[in-house]
Amino acid sequence: MKNKKHWSRRGFLQSAGTLASVNALGIGAPALAAISAAANEANAANAAFVALGNDDAADFAAIAARIIPTTDTPGATEAGVIHFIDQAFAVEMRDAMDFALQGLQVINARLDGRFADLDTETQDALLRNIEQGELFGLLRSMTIFGFFSMSKYGGNANHIGWDLIGFEGHHGPWQYPFGYYDADVHGGNDNGQ
Amino acid sequence: MASKRQFSLKEPVDFVIVGSGSAGGILAKELSTAGFDVVVLEQGPYRHANDFVHDELAVVFRDELIGGGTKASGQTFRDDENKVAQSPMRQPARYAQNVGGASVHFTANFWRFREIDFKERSVLGAISGTNFADWPITYDELEPYYTKVDWEIGVSGAPGPNDAFRSKPFPLPPMPVKSSGVLMERGAKKLGLNVQVEPHAILSQPFNGRPACINCGYCMFFGCEVGAKSSTLAAMIPLAEASGNCEIRADSAVFRIATDKRGRASEVFYYDKDGMERSQKAKAVVVSANGAETARLLLMSASEQYPDGLANSSGFVGRNLMFNAHSAAQGVFTEQLNDYKGVQVTRIIHDFYESDPARGFYGGGGLDARPLWSATPILHALLGMPPDVPPWGAAFKDEMAHNFTRQMCLVGSTTSLALDRNNITLDPTNTDKWGRPSIRVTYRDHDDDLSMASFLQDRAMELFDAAGAQKTWRRPVLPSDGGEHLLGTCRMGDDPSSSVVNRDHRSHDIKNLFICDGSSFVTSGRGQPTMTIMALAFRAADRIKAAVAANAI
Repeated sequence: MKNKKHWSRRGFLQSAGTLASVNALGIGAPALAAISAAANEANAANAAFVALGNDDAADFAAIAARIIPTTDTPGATEAGVIHFIDQAFAVEMRDAMDFALQGLQVINARLDGRFADLDTETQDALLRNIEQGELFGLLRSMTIFGFFSMSKYGGNANHIGWDLIGFEGHHGPWQYPFGYYDADVHGGNDNGQ
Repeated sequence: MASKRQFSLKEPVDFVIVGSGSAGGILAKELSTAGFDVVVLEQGPYRHANDFVHDELAVVFRDELIGGGTKASGQTFRDDENKVAQSPMRQPARYAQNVGGASVHFTANFWRFREIDFKERSVLGAISGTNFADWPITYDELEPYYTKVDWEIGVSGAPGPNDAFRSKPFPLPPMPVKSSGVLMERGAKKLGLNVQVEPHAILSQPFNGRPACINCGYCMFFGCEVGAKSSTLAAMIPLAEASGNCEIRADSAVFRIATDKRGRASEVFYYDKDGMERSQKAKAVVVSANGAETARLLLMSASEQYPDGLANSSGFVGRNLMFNAHSAAQGVFTEQLNDYKGVQVTRIIHDFYESDPARGFYGGGGLDARPLWSATPILHALLGMPPDVPPWGAAFKDEMAHNFTRQMCLVGSTTSLALDRNNITLDPTNTDKWGRPSIRVTYRDHDDDLSMASFLQDRAMELFDAAGAQKTWRRPVLPSDGGEHLLGTCRMGDDPSSSVVNRDHRSHDIKNLFICDGSSFVTSGRGQPTMTIMALAFRAADRIKAAVAANAI
């Protein structure tokens, strides 16, 4: 059936990789992570992995850490994005995991050690070479999902992702004014406080 | 919570209504409170306000409210009838599947049409290659029903400079202006444009026992957790059930309307929650399943007697699909807007509503100021970044962190021309999770629609400049690959050879079969159709009641 064919791993990954180019008002997009809502709170830094082996998890975590790096503010590492990825792979993205692991093998086969052991400059150079590819598109999307989705999916630990961008989605409801430009209108202060 | 009233499947009820959304929910309330026995068959589940969560991953990306997306529906899309349609990641025709239908997850922008929308063909003349036509009804005929929508479901707003006549004021004051609205006003003032208040199907104050909006910001794509959004779930369904004459039968996916020997609609077949085949007998049937589902159901119901599908002697069932075209421009300002809080839109510009021959193409539309991609974090990261920023790394992270609270969007929404080539048909191979033939969408915007969308995007960029935006960008206007506005596929008209229903929403072919939803539209309006769908539903209910009184069904 056409439908099934389209939902093959390949089609899925292609779409995930090109997500960011969809038409302006086009959303919906990928039921990327048809991740079980039953996914747990295992986002403590040292929690065990459900689907991934420790070495593979370390490599994926290192890739996520280059996509949203730790700078003067926390990044994918501190948000526990790898646990989101792990839990997604454990459930309905098992096919995607096989693909991702194969891709990782190809990368590591060219290295002396593993991706996670490289210095960050070398990691970045390597990722720039594959940034147009399906594997990177998949991992970029998953990193973003893991950084910004609800903590119950395994990532965004302590709302690190939301705090970074100033999204207080776990608070609210809100009172006017919300920001700087409507403050005069509503006679309040800026930032909605 | 189960519906209180339960009807026997074998005894014909007065009305079966297929769909409980913007139109079906209103028809259910109107007909049941008038004393008729009504069974509403809704394919989605019965969700309540406290079922709605702030879960962007589940709602926006896992398609939880729309029934699981393409994977579950098998919908297909193509932009040309000569191509084989493919099943894309993103479902082409998008609508919530639950009691209340898409009125549950819509953004609640709530524009009335104007006089011109109903008679534009007469004013402008024919447009070659299109099915551009006048409506059989006028604004004046619909105005009492727009007012009824205002006062029955709860609408907040204030009139704009060029709005159509209204017989009563808005029942509720407008939602307070947000920073995006203030900035639109700032730009418009310099450019000499008129900004007006956005009307909302959202309560700015408590109304009819429902609470006011709490400004949580989760309107677009999400269900309202407090019932302040004036969905039919919040505003109409409770009244229908309280009448004691209405059963809302959720998890009931209709797959065929059967006709009797006289050719009248007699029984509606559906799959229940367990996938078991059931049927409900009825004296009359109202189809309000939306512009995609309604057309599919009529086509699926083809029989020996009606080989081309029900109500389809004209061949117009499924044709003239209209999505409204859209465009967007993004702007970042130096200070924080925090536009993710509160309703999406608070200010709009309707100066480009009318078609203007000087532009060189047909079309009209509106501009609105809203967060759009900066309403929720994942959308911001995936779609809200400027094109000059790398897609990963420290610069990507910094840009997200800086822009999210400082970013807004100016969205253009436009007319769509009715075309034969844009339609809903049955996919020849795919089926949905219930086993029904999947909806196949064939669609390519008319060039004029895309020109209008680009025109509005140009104006949006000028507005950003005039408002003092620090950084602006836009992406090219592309043809639609799907839509939430599902209009025109069973159009209303006086001529049975070029329309599916008459001006009273009765199908030309089958006397006791009524069709009322976005499919009834003759033209698309300027981009916010739900108010008109609801007004048509109130009017249709009156016309149906009158027909019963005249013993004419």
